[in-house]
Amino acid sequence: MIFWEIAKRNIRLHLLRSSLAMLGIIIGVVAIASMGILGNSMVLAVSDSLRTVGDSVIVTPHVGGNVRGFGGGGGASSTTLTITEQNFLQIKRVSAPNVAIPVLQTSDRMKLGVGQDDIVAMIYGLNPDDVPDLLKLKAGDYSRGNSGCLVGSKFADDHNVKVGSRISIGTDGSKGTLRVTGIIEERGMAFDVSTDSAVVATKDWFDTAYNRNDYDKVVIKVKNLDDLPAVKTAIEKQMNKRDTIVDVMDTRKTMETIFQAFGQITTFVTAIGGISMIVAGVSILNIMMMSVTERIKEIGIMRSIGAQKKEVMWMFLYEALILGVVGSLIGGVLSLLGGYAISSMMLQTTKYLFVPSSLVNIVYGVSFGIVVCLICGIYPAWRAANLSPIDALRHE
Amino acid sequence: MDDQPAMMFRDVVKVYPLPAGDVTALDHVSFKVDRGEFISVMGPSGSGKSTLLNLMGCLDTPTSGEIFISGTRTGDMSDSELTNLRRDRIGFTFQYFNLFPLLNTLENVTFPMMLKSKTAVDPEKGRAVLRSVQLDDELFTHTPMELSGGQQQRVAIARALVNDPDILLCDEPTGNLDSKTGAGIMELMTELNRKGTTIIMVTHDPNNAKYSKRTIRIADGRIME
Repeated sequence: MIFWEIAKRNIRLHLLRSSLAMLGIIIGVVAIASMGILGNSMVLAVSDSLRTVGDSVIVTPHVGGNVRGFGGGGGASSTTLTITEQNFLQIKRVSAPNVAIPVLQTSDRMKLGVGQDDIVAMIYGLNPDDVPDLLKLKAGDYSRGNSGCLVGSKFADDHNVKVGSRISIGTDGSKGTLRVTGIIEERGMAFDVSTDSAVVATKDWFDTAYNRNDYDKVVIKVKNLDDLPAVKTAIEKQMNKRDTIVDVMDTRKTMETIFQAFGQITTFVTAIGGISMIVAGVSILNIMMMSVTERIKEIGIMRSIGAQKKEVMWMFLYEALILGVVGSLIGGVLSLLGGYAISSMMLQTTKYLFVPSSLVNIVYGVSFGIVVCLICGIYPAWRAANLSPIDALRHE
Repeated sequence: MDDQPAMMFRDVVKVYPLPAGDVTALDHVSFKVDRGEFISVMGPSGSGKSTLLNLMGCLDTPTSGEIFISGTRTGDMSDSELTNLRRDRIGFTFQYFNLFPLLNTLENVTFPMMLKSKTAVDPEKGRAVLRSVQLDDELFTHTPMELSGGQQQRVAIARALVNDPDILLCDEPTGNLDSKTGAGIMELMTELNRKGTTIIMVTHDPNNAKYSKRTIRIADGRIME
């Protein structure tokens, strides 16, 4: 243990130099861990936003290439991209026993009270029987009658809308007035229906108000997630026999792609943090080489009075280890603070910071810092251990 | 083992291969050091004294010939075995004391004990050895920088003796001390020899050589005794 003691005292003797070397490690650990925490927090935030739609297959009219709607049926050319009742029934049949939900959507002007300015918002038309399968309420009840509607939680907060409030749809209320019967739970960004800032009316009201008899999309809620690819394939096979007339999206697959992209971004950003760690490692290597050069004579004395090569080697490795452990642990604590600050600024929340998948980045950063220090200490330590005792004793 | 000479050189040759041609530093050197002897090695610069000291201290290996330390032939030993031999059988003191600046007096002395035991050691033996070289107890916790030259050399001698070596090798032990302090160190070494320590001392100073019982003179790599 005397070599451990010597390593500690040498660091204390050269405190400024050792502190500067540790600073490099601290910066490296903070860079790696904070970037990792931020990346993971972003993935978790997106995952939270999309978690309610990971069990769906979304069918939309095909866009791109030779644009052909199928609103008019068969081969009729059209720019109206909708799904007919007949097509919906086909989709519903091949998707069974999963629930197929036809969705109508548009955006329109609306007024929330006398003297208030008009606003423009998204309006969805859904069959009342389908709504409980798709949306959860945080207040009020599902609307049954054609004069009722639901509103998203953000819509309600932004415009001070409560259960019982009335909304006039269309310019000067030309489409009629709806009474709010419920507030929808926040769903975040979604592939199927994004209701947070929208109004959800009944399909019948929508058909009447906008003179529609077709659909904008069909959402299939798949009961068994393992069936998602099969449902997607079945719909494509049925609907796109001759021409591609619908686009079918497996939301789970899409989410996987998004998470994969986020993962790659996180890895890239963390790798940039890793570069600062490599620079810190070079600094450690430099300082250890200085330490060896300054102590060549001391090494010669140790070897001449009976210190083995490996003991001399460990003395220098202990020094690198102390620098690495102390620097990395300080870096670990600071990266928690850094992660907190970055999450607060960029994500406006820190709820994803204290979860294992985020905190593990600190463990990675600290471990990487220690390993880099040890690796960078190996060559100087090896060089010290393999000095010729005679040459080392002669060194001035 | 006690009936074996403390050290024996048999026909030892040491050649340094240099780009300009081989240099023979020691040329068929043979001698024996019995236990309890106090020998001084003298010779002019470049005579081969340092080479001889390195070979005696097992810091180097001969080109040919054999060296025995307490009957153990050193020629076939690995680096690790030679290191252990130095640790257990040979004590070194140097002209510039060469204490470890990061350790205090007592830690400097117990350092070879720690190398040997690999665990914590009883510092009482270190204190006893320091007292035997006439160092005051109050200096045990001082660092080398806080000691005078004579005190540092006493600590160095204590460090060399703490593992009870067969031979004490001294390289110009008074070369960095004033004459009065140097005389004190030589009297200490005489006292240690009187108690049974075998001492081989390399010196330029004929006054120091007078303290030894035998002098080996070396010139051009050969023993002129």
